[in-house]
Amino acid sequence: MSSLSNLLLPAVLFFALGVIARLIKSDLRFPPDLAKVLSIYLLMAIGLHGGYELAKADLVIAMNSIMWALILGFTLPIIGYLALVMTRKVSPLDAAAISAHYGSVSAGTFLTAIAYLDNVGVTYETYPLIMLAVMESPAIVVGLILAAKARHSIAAREKAPVSGGGAVISPPDNSADNPGGKFSELLRDAFTNGSVVILIGSMVIGAISTPSGMQQLFPFIDEIFMGVLCLFLFDMGMVAARRIGDFRQVGWLLALFGIVMPLIGGVVGAYVGHAILGFSVGGATLVAVLGASASYIAVPPAMRLAIPEANPSFYLTLSLGITFPFNVIVGIPIYHSLVQAMAAG
Amino acid sequence: MVKLYPEKLLSIITNDSMQERLECMFKKYGVSGFTIIQASGEGSSGMASEMSGFDGNILVKVIVPESQLQVLLESVERKLRKGYHLTVFVSDVQVITPEKFNKKSQ
Repeated sequence: MSSLSNLLLPAVLFFALGVIARLIKSDLRFPPDLAKVLSIYLLMAIGLHGGYELAKADLVIAMNSIMWALILGFTLPIIGYLALVMTRKVSPLDAAAISAHYGSVSAGTFLTAIAYLDNVGVTYETYPLIMLAVMESPAIVVGLILAAKARHSIAAREKAPVSGGGAVISPPDNSADNPGGKFSELLRDAFTNGSVVILIGSMVIGAISTPSGMQQLFPFIDEIFMGVLCLFLFDMGMVAARRIGDFRQVGWLLALFGIVMPLIGGVVGAYVGHAILGFSVGGATLVAVLGASASYIAVPPAMRLAIPEANPSFYLTLSLGITFPFNVIVGIPIYHSLVQAMAAG
Repeated sequence: MVKLYPEKLLSIITNDSMQERLECMFKKYGVSGFTIIQASGEGSSGMASEMSGFDGNILVKVIVPESQLQVLLESVERKLRKGYHLTVFVSDVQVITPEKFNKKSQ
C-alpha cells in the first residue's frame, strides 16, 4: 500500500511527532532559527545534486519545463482566486494574498515527495527541480496584480468616505495602486528571494563543478540528507501544529479550500508532468506535488509587504496549518496514485 | 550626581518583513541609531512565531529628541493607513549622553 508506506516514512513520522509534541504541550523547543538553517542546507543539497544531474540534461526539455513551471505559477493563483471569491468568505484582497501562496511552492513538501519516491523505489527526472526554483516567484506577481485589481474595484465601490476616520482598513485613494511600494521593487524582491538564490546558485555550482569535486561533497549532500529532512519536518510539525489552533478562525469553508485547492493543483500538475512534459511516473508525481503545494516561507513576507490589508492568519493557517500537513501525510501518495492511473490509462 | 536628559523612546512591534522599510524611514528622517530585537507574541493579526524567516516579529527601539518624534510618528501613521500592522508606543526616557540622539540638530 503506497499510502501506508508514506505514513511510515521516517520523515513523515517525525512530522507527526512534531505535531503531537505541540498538541500534548510538551516543553520541547528547538532553537528559533533551526528550521531556517535546515532549510538552507536542504535547498543547497538538493540544488547541488540537481545541478550535477542537470549538467547532463537535455536543454530542450529543461526549457520546456521552465515554460510550464511559469504557466503553472501564473495560472494556479487565478484558479485559487476565483474559487475563493466564489466562497464569499474572504475579501478580494485576502483572496489575492491566499491564492498567491497556492501558486507558489513548498520546498519542504517537494523534498518529502522525493523521500517518498526514494522509499517506494520510483525513479524521477531532475527537471522538476528547476521547476521548483522557477515556481517560487511568479505567483507573487500574480498576487500583486490581483490585489491591485481588487483595490481598484474596492475604491470604485467605496467612493463615499468611510466613517470612523483613523480606521486601519480604509486606504486613501492615492494608495489604491500599491501600498507595498514600487512594483519594480516588489518584483525584485520576488525574484531575489533567499530560497531562489540558494537553489539556483547551488544548481549552477553543481552543474559547473568538477565531478571529482562533487564526489567529495556527496557525504554532505547525500548521506545525511534524509536525517536532516527528518529534523526539518520534526520542527515544521511543531510550527504547523501551532497554526492548526487557528482553524476555527478561518472557518470550515476556507479550511476546505486548504484541502481542495492542493487537489486541483495536483491534478493540473499531474497532467502537465505526465501528458505535456512526458515525464516518468516519478517525475510527473513531483510536478503534481509542485502544483499542489503552497508556499509558507517565500510568499508570506512578500504578501505582508505587498498586501498589508490581507489578514495573515488566513494565509498562514491555510498554507502552513492545513495544506502542508495534508500534502505531507496524505497528498503525496494521492498524487502518485493519480499519475499511476494516468500512465496506465 | 550624574545629569540626565529627557528624550523620547519610540517602540514599534511589527513583522520582520517590515525591517528594511523601517530602517529606510529612520535613515530618511536622520535618526542617529536604533535597536532591533527578535520578538514573538500574539495580537490582533494573529500569532507571530519567534522564527525569523517564518513570520517572526521584531521589536524596534529608537530614542529621539521630542522635536524629531512627530515626523517619525507621521510616517508611521501613513504606514498604518496603508494597512501595515504596527504596534507603536512612545515613552519618556532619560539618557546620560543626549548628543548621541541629536544627530539631525547638530
